[in-house]
Amino acid sequence: MWIRAVAVLAFLFLFLVGVKALESGIKAFGADTAERLFELVSSPIAALSAGILATVLVQSSSVSTATIVGMVGSGALTLTAAVPMIMGANIGTTVTNTLASLGHIRQGQEFRRAFAGATIHDFFNIISVAVLLPLELWTGFLSRAATYLTDVLTGRDIAVSAVPSSSPIKDAIEVPIGLVTRAVEALTDVPAVRGFTLLAVGLALIFTALTSITRNMRMLMAGRIEASLNAMLSKGAGLGAMVVGMLITISVQSSSITTSVLIPLVAAGILSLENAYPVTLGANVGTTITALLASLAADRPEALTIAITHTLFNLTGILMLYPIPAVRRIPLVLARRLAETAQQHKQLVLAYVLGAFVALPVIGIVVF
Amino acid sequence: MVFELFKGQSGSGLEAVEARIEEMLHTCGEVLGLAISAFEPGMSAREIGPLVRETDRKVNKTERSIRRDLVVHVSVQSGADLPLVLVYMSIIKDIERIGDYAKNIWDVAAALEDGGPDLSMMDPLFERTIALVSEIADAYVSRDTERATALLNRCDGWLDEYDDNVDALMLSELPSTVGVPQALLNRHLKRVTAHLMNVLTSVVMPFDRLDYWDEDKIDRD
Repeated sequence: MWIRAVAVLAFLFLFLVGVKALESGIKAFGADTAERLFELVSSPIAALSAGILATVLVQSSSVSTATIVGMVGSGALTLTAAVPMIMGANIGTTVTNTLASLGHIRQGQEFRRAFAGATIHDFFNIISVAVLLPLELWTGFLSRAATYLTDVLTGRDIAVSAVPSSSPIKDAIEVPIGLVTRAVEALTDVPAVRGFTLLAVGLALIFTALTSITRNMRMLMAGRIEASLNAMLSKGAGLGAMVVGMLITISVQSSSITTSVLIPLVAAGILSLENAYPVTLGANVGTTITALLASLAADRPEALTIAITHTLFNLTGILMLYPIPAVRRIPLVLARRLAETAQQHKQLVLAYVLGAFVALPVIGIVVF
Repeated sequence: MVFELFKGQSGSGLEAVEARIEEMLHTCGEVLGLAISAFEPGMSAREIGPLVRETDRKVNKTERSIRRDLVVHVSVQSGADLPLVLVYMSIIKDIERIGDYAKNIWDVAAALEDGGPDLSMMDPLFERTIALVSEIADAYVSRDTERATALLNRCDGWLDEYDDNVDALMLSELPSTVGVPQALLNRHLKRVTAHLMNVLTSVVMPFDRLDYWDEDKIDRD
């Protein structure tokens, strides 16, 4: 057990090194690369679509949000461009439990429940984005609040400060990053190749470290997760279930694990859709811890701001959709209707998954 | 439910399932004892009836709750110990059936409440069955293979004995008011014994041969 705990800490350090390597890689490409990247995601729809597609491809919002934080930290991505991307990551991550629900496709009633359990997360995130993204673009309320919180937390005014901040964690990360950078510099003089190599190393480290943290933490926490879910089944849901969802996700660093664990329970009919719903909302909040951790490695305070924006976006979504019973039921009703239709027309499932998570984001990037 | 995440328990939730199976076995012994007590002189089957049903409901409730825990376990642990989960599913079904047969035994007592034949010849069979529940529970919990094998062999003999009793009753000249209750009780006790044996087969037999002790003699030999 202790070996696993130590391994998790080591992988966490490796994760931060990965974020820093990614940041260094983007910087090594040069200023024009940043400009090209801005152009690519200059439209909020394109940025949102990029966030969805990237998350679907890596099957992990933790990896995509950490990457976004690294890009913001390097200055390659502005806060304005990053906000829709991070919202897109929220939508993209729901594909994992939707895929998990397909395991029940041969059993009519079981599949209907499983698919509704999976798509409730989709509908919640889609509605949140549909309401909050236009509001954010119009008023900037999320990023403004996050900037204010960043100023409070760092004690700096990020609007005027351009000096990279320092901390013991960042100092510790500099040692391995220095070694990697020198090794890459020794290999080639071409800035683009250096940048690409560091970028690839960064992404590989982020992916490997997060996967390993998730695997080890899942093993460390399995007994406790099982006990808390058993208690939830006997006591019902509500805010407690939301906290359970959040804590499980923080501990395993993956909202997909939390939401996918619920699918067989919903499919078997032992966990109602109403009781699974708050757990997924808690998972939405819990998964934002990864971006917050990633911001520890970044040079610029904007990295922390985008991470806080991610958290505020999910908390605002809950405040908007959960407290009022009539509003709370909207994602439930939509998920149930889609599941009923999917049960009758199985081909719709494939159309939904490919359409919502692949085709529409590709169109969003290409057209907008 | 939030506190469970911070409690010391970090092992498999199957330990809790194991404890509840033991509890379920003891509750089964209780319901069987209650049903059989309806045959004692001076006891009223009607008065005992609600207790029998209530205790059986407790067995059923525990079975459903264990099933839920097993689904949670499989979901969280990704089916790493799926064979064990399937064994538990098989065991709890057998224990639950014992509760049902206890009710069937009580049904016989209730039908004879207003003046039935003397069934005292059944007393030794009743007593040994009640004692068997505890013996099976102990052997199961301790995973004592030697004791389990000895118990299974002994029970195997009982199954034959119950069959012989029923065969003899069918050919006997006894009036139906005496022969039918005896035959029914022999049949119910045989099923209780067989289900208890099924529980114990999990200690000594591989998963695919669970429940087949009595039909697998050639293989065993």
